[in-house]
Amino acid sequence: MEIRGVIIEDTFAEAFGMRGARLIITAKNERWTREAALKLTGFATSVIACKCEAAIERELPGDETPDGRPGVSVLFFTMDSDSLGKRLIERIGQTVLTCPTTACFDGLPDLPDRLPAGKALRTFGDRFQGSKVIGGQRYWRVPVMEGEFLLSETFGMQKKGIGGGNFLILGESADAVLEAAEAAVAAIEGTPNVILPFPGGIVRSGSKVGASYTGMIASTNDAYCPTLRPLTTTALPEGVNSVLEIVLDGLDFDSISTAMRAGITAACRPGVRAISAGNYGGKLGPHHFHLRKVMDGA
Amino acid sequence: MSDWITLTARAVDAPIALDDLDPARLAELSAADIGAVPVFAGRQRAALGDFFDVSGERSTRVRIEGSTSLLDGVGAGMSGGELDVTGDTGAMTGAGMSGGTLRVHGSVGDDAGVGLSGGVLRIDGNAGDRLGAAAPGAAKGMSGGDIIVGGAAGDEAGARMRRGLLVISGSVGRDAGRAMIAGSLIVLGSCGDGAGRASKRGSIVVCGAVAVPPTYRYACTYHPPHVRLTFRYLMRRYNFAFENAVIDSVFKRYCGDGDDPGKGELLVAAPDEPPVAQSIVKGT
Repeated sequence: MEIRGVIIEDTFAEAFGMRGARLIITAKNERWTREAALKLTGFATSVIACKCEAAIERELPGDETPDGRPGVSVLFFTMDSDSLGKRLIERIGQTVLTCPTTACFDGLPDLPDRLPAGKALRTFGDRFQGSKVIGGQRYWRVPVMEGEFLLSETFGMQKKGIGGGNFLILGESADAVLEAAEAAVAAIEGTPNVILPFPGGIVRSGSKVGASYTGMIASTNDAYCPTLRPLTTTALPEGVNSVLEIVLDGLDFDSISTAMRAGITAACRPGVRAISAGNYGGKLGPHHFHLRKVMDGA
Repeated sequence: MSDWITLTARAVDAPIALDDLDPARLAELSAADIGAVPVFAGRQRAALGDFFDVSGERSTRVRIEGSTSLLDGVGAGMSGGELDVTGDTGAMTGAGMSGGTLRVHGSVGDDAGVGLSGGVLRIDGNAGDRLGAAAPGAAKGMSGGDIIVGGAAGDEAGARMRRGLLVISGSVGRDAGRAMIAGSLIVLGSCGDGAGRASKRGSIVVCGAVAVPPTYRYACTYHPPHVRLTFRYLMRRYNFAFENAVIDSVFKRYCGDGDDPGKGELLVAAPDEPPVAQSIVKGT
């Protein structure tokens, strides 16, 4: 399969089941929603070392937020339910609670599985906190020096989230690949239920499972490192001098497929030779995104 | 099965108590069975069909047409379904409701929504005394659900309320939120004397004038985020139309009543702000 002269390799991205949550952060204006969201999602690229993966899903106008103020939708993913609850408590407590003018709302109110992050964080109020039930949802009012911090008592948990959807952009030069990756990110941004947790949505250091050093669970994906072409079993076609990866997490399989399709389509541009994907032979992750099937869905 | 069951009042010239008319229980009843639902006319037992023409059957959506203030207990004890009333109703409207939606396109008498624990009671006109308050002899007033009033309300609105949302678009009489235990009482107009007297917890939000009891202590002037959230909820759920000046209004927070536990609050729209009460358009 080719798109505008770019080969879509006959391979698949191998992804894993994750637990997901959506937070709606609102504030007085866009500046403070962004400040809170950036801190909230900082150092959250990979569960390998960050304990969670998180990023901004999209910015929300006032008419789409519970309190009518500008907002940001953030998606969080971890490998298990317990961890997701802990990460929310840590991160909301340290980044949203502390940020001027913010409020924090559950973005998945209809899901039956609940994480009581707000119930835990209410205790910061040292018994001065109070609750309100509005429209069947309980919120906590935590007194703070600025005024009050309002947050949902519980947050919905998507048990069928998926992490590690991906595709690789193989190109003739680092510049060409970066431009293609930027185009892919721009095409994916705003896709509902999907985030790109890495810096700018792009990964330059894709990893393989394990390493020659004992105790390391991941190390550089040497098969795709152009500098190692003569030193390892390379996966790079002729003429490829740089590779970047787009990693996607999502609340469901179809959303990730839609985002991958948009991203791959945008990435097929001059200077790009092929689109591939990272997998582990299909033995580790239950969710397989076959690139050609993904693109056939267009 | 009908979409709606319609009860059209014939000449009603004496009080009738409709306490047993729960739409949730009508899903399996034929028109004849509905006509046999017991009612009290004064102290005499009677049947619904003695005073109403019944059309439709086997539905949880009930419409009462030609209602008057002589119909007491309309929707009392309602546990589900929908009850839509054209005209006024008498005392105890929606008393003890635990679910469903009761809408009155008119005004209601005293004790509407007393002891309400769930569901929605919407009153387009005015309400009498003790709206959403405690039933006689009960320790707690409304303990859940929403009561939305398009007009004004009488004395002791929300007295002893334990939980839930009580919104009055107009003004209320004296002792609003008296001995309130928790929940939210929102008055878009003004309050009579004694608002929040003896309250333990809960929020009384007033957009118009109110005499703050001397046992309440001023805390600060700020933007209470839950009030904004509640206003937005009223806009989305009940089509209230607030101007931005209202949404963005600051409120003066007073804590009381007294110190034990003193966790109640009066939130009063700051007087130097635009006249919020006048800029509100009622929900439809």
